[in-house]
Amino acid sequence: MGTTLQAKWDRASRTYDWITWGEERRFAAAKERLFAKMTGRCLMVAAGTGNDFRYFPPGLAVTAIDISPGMVERASRKAGHYDGQLDVQVMDVQALQFGDATFDAAVTSCTLCSVPDPIRGLRELYRCLKPGGRLLLFEHVRSRFGPIALLQDLMTPITRQIGPDMNRDTVANVLRAGFEVCWEENVYVDVVKAIEARRPG
Amino acid sequence: MTSTDAYTSRLVLSHTRERTHALLVLGDYGAGAIVGAATAAGVRAAVSPTLDMVLAMLLGMAVGMVIHLLIALPLSPVLGTFHVMVPGSLIGMYGGMLFAMRDTMQHPPPTWNDTLLVGALFGLAVTAGVQLYDRALRGPAASGDC
Repeated sequence: MGTTLQAKWDRASRTYDWITWGEERRFAAAKERLFAKMTGRCLMVAAGTGNDFRYFPPGLAVTAIDISPGMVERASRKAGHYDGQLDVQVMDVQALQFGDATFDAAVTSCTLCSVPDPIRGLRELYRCLKPGGRLLLFEHVRSRFGPIALLQDLMTPITRQIGPDMNRDTVANVLRAGFEVCWEENVYVDVVKAIEARRPG
Repeated sequence: MTSTDAYTSRLVLSHTRERTHALLVLGDYGAGAIVGAATAAGVRAAVSPTLDMVLAMLLGMAVGMVIHLLIALPLSPVLGTFHVMVPGSLIGMYGGMLFAMRDTMQHPPPTWNDTLLVGALFGLAVTAGVQLYDRALRGPAASGDC
């Protein structure tokens, strides 16, 4: 597991709730709509400090993972408020310690912008999802509008030092990992998206 | 919780979200005006009227990007990173180039009051453009077979 990556997100965990205050208010409704599709046994990747647990439908069995022990410590406190079974663990999405076809659904929330090898992470999710299992993604991606895309490319070397890449083509990566994309929705311009994909079968 | 309680609670939540959303949109315009005015002022201070226009525009772009980042850092937690970054970076980068071009071409140069006012107006216009672009794009973007 990347200790540099863990150290970066451990540092971020101290101010994460404060830094994402505005975003939580902007995107709450879109996240609620997306996560309402969670069913059965679910995996949440990169749980952060657990801010998204409040959007989960009640009564599910959810395993939430994050690479950062600092994030997991904070998320574990919020997991207690969830009306269902919610377990939080330190784990890297690029090397999931679950068996094949374990989960009915997997969810991410601004995750694949930070995974060093997103396709490897997505292939691990593919492996751990049951055939027909759903992948629900709330992600920011590279815009298809040239002037915004150029700015994202220019800013990524800076944002990468403290957090995520700004210019990933996540929809293409999901397809490359073998998923079928069921639908995608623009939440803010074409930069922030809600996406539902499915493992064929 | 009864169904009436649940309905009331959803209604209250929806009203709270609408009010918060309206305040955040106002904040977007405020942030746009601040980034625009600060970029115009920064470029005016950095660009000499005798500087070659191409060099001035490159310098203006760099100054605008730095100013945008400095302002975006404290505003992002309140307004949301993407809602600050997308219009802010457009204002900083492209506004910086435009202001630099103006500052090398216009003789006599604009007053500081005009510089700030035009900068703020440019910021408001770009913010309005991004809001319209967002409205046009928001919603379903693609759907497959599954």
